Amino acid sequence: MTDLMLQVKDLTMHYKTSKGEVSAVNNVSFVVEKGQSLGLVGESGCGKTSIAFSLLRLLPDNAEIKGGDIILDGANITDMDKKQLLKVRWKGISMVFQAAMNALNPIFTVGEQIVEAIQVHNPEINVAEAKNNVTDLFTLVGLDPKLMDRYPHEFSGGMRQRAVIAMALACHPKLIIADEPTTALDVIVQDRILSQLKEIQDRLDMSMIYISHDIAVIAEVSDRIGVMYAGRMAELAKANEIFKRPIHPYTYALMSAFPSIKGPKKSLTTLPGEPPDLLNPPSGCRFHPRCPRATVQCRQETPPFIEHSPGHFAACWHPMEVENE
Amino acid sequence: MSEITSLVKVEHLVKKFPVSAGLFKTSKSFIHAVDDISFEIDSGSSLGLVGESGCGKTTTGKLLTRLYDPTSGLIEINDPRAGRVDLASLKGQALKDFRGRVQIIFQDPYESLNPRRTIFDTVSEPLVVQGLGNITQREEQVATLLETVGLTPASSFLFRYPHELSGGQRQRVAIARALVVNPSFVVADEPTSMLDVSIRIGVMQLMMELANEMDVSYLYITHDLAVARYMCQRIAVMYIGKIIEKAATEELLSHPLHPYTRALISAVPVPDPEFQRQAIPIKGGVSAPIDPPDQCRFYSRCPLADSFCRNNPHPPLEDKGGGHFVACYKV
Repeated sequence: MTDLMLQVKDLTMHYKTSKGEVSAVNNVSFVVEKGQSLGLVGESGCGKTSIAFSLLRLLPDNAEIKGGDIILDGANITDMDKKQLLKVRWKGISMVFQAAMNALNPIFTVGEQIVEAIQVHNPEINVAEAKNNVTDLFTLVGLDPKLMDRYPHEFSGGMRQRAVIAMALACHPKLIIADEPTTALDVIVQDRILSQLKEIQDRLDMSMIYISHDIAVIAEVSDRIGVMYAGRMAELAKANEIFKRPIHPYTYALMSAFPSIKGPKKSLTTLPGEPPDLLNPPSGCRFHPRCPRATVQCRQETPPFIEHSPGHFAACWHPMEVENE
Repeated sequence: MSEITSLVKVEHLVKKFPVSAGLFKTSKSFIHAVDDISFEIDSGSSLGLVGESGCGKTTTGKLLTRLYDPTSGLIEINDPRAGRVDLASLKGQALKDFRGRVQIIFQDPYESLNPRRTIFDTVSEPLVVQGLGNITQREEQVATLLETVGLTPASSFLFRYPHELSGGQRQRVAIARALVVNPSFVVADEPTSMLDVSIRIGVMQLMMELANEMDVSYLYITHDLAVARYMCQRIAVMYIGKIIEKAATEELLSHPLHPYTRALISAVPVPDPEFQRQAIPIKGGVSAPIDPPDQCRFYSRCPLADSFCRNNPHPPLEDKGGGHFVACYKV
């Protein structure tokens, strides 16, 4: 099993709130192979970002990992102490955050911030060396190295996002989590940043986890795709497979609800209802109140997350038939 | 022909914002947010206004609802009930009457609803302002409309507050508020961009149904070409204050002519992992619209640009056949 970069087994995570416990991530399992990318897609509140924060153990105080294992390259992150975690963060896993504006400190130059990140995690590197590294990183993400002495407010949205990516790469991580890396950007900039990320991933042979609500973005960059719903993994398969033969009704609904500018204009279908309140999730399958195929069994029993065909996992009592090619 | 059918007619519309030069100084520079644009919206048809952030889409929307006063240009609304009016000249009672016929739906349903007012207060306010009906009639009308926008049963929503509703429900309230006075024209500024995918299509379909039933036309402002494809009969593409291309929706998407439109369309990700997009590279980023030089706005990024483009003013929007308008010397 040496080709696995990350293995997440039955991860369960709750938030304690004044109203009760929110079951944000419930029994989620997936793997990321070395050099491969996994896309996690789902609507707001489905647990995508909670998973990302669990992987880095960057959870807020009211969150608690209730169970499960997170194994990064053979080491279990779930039972590490603070000191060990420090070594995993940045060097093992690093993260590209959604709001690039907030991820950079406005009172330091972009270069200084990356130099700091490098030195904190590699005390043996001196400033001059670290600056050299920043020059390489800037070139890698398509920024002019001369810009490293500028402040974040002097950067445009796309440049800031590139700077954040450069920072995430600073300590040569094995795995990068990109949480909605292009959501706030215009399409042309988004397109460039996505292709740059893909290129960097190939060149450095890294593993990636992309998190997005946008299945079109996920389709572009992921080798495998996991569809999440209400804190659970609904379906997980190779990108082609999941687009051609979705077997979970939610995946199917998500795809038929997504407008595209290419191909014939197909009619879009709506999904009735709204995502559930995770303070009080529905019994059985969490999708059953909105599912056209739901039966009594779906209301009562939680469907297991099982392999329906090689490499194609889904949690559904009544999976959709494999339809015409 | 267009004289009879066009509901909204915009000619040479300009909006410039002064750039602050400091206290007690007269500002010398201007942001050309909307710079000489013209378009028409036919009755019963919707126009999609598409472009990147900062291209002037929202300013155009606000000009059309008179939330901003235009610097110059003509905005004519031809309402069957009130006849042709020039928006810029409206004052007092006439302006108030106009607000009963043109409405706006904002992007963020979390910010556009007053948290201290119930849904009934919010939706009935336009009726109160316009002095339409008495309280019983208003309540009846609001209840019917809430059912129409899918908030059923209306009685359970009337006296709730925005914080008790989800994003999709709030946007439905915002739609109800816009439609309660039976407007003939609604500016919809990214009404679905804050909503989740499974909710978004429901709201889009609702807006289309209502457009048919209540005979409303939209100016649909969006950055998302795929959404515009489903909502609009025609699309106009904006770039730094200018409309650079406009055509019927499918025509624009299948035969884009302007190099910017082509790049924009080629950059939209497609939800199909096997689809190979042809990337059309353009240089640099969007420049600031502060006192732009008198040449094609797209000149600095255009792969086709030459000395002719540099030495001539911004190209006029010309019909290249079949109502497909493009502003480019090289097409």
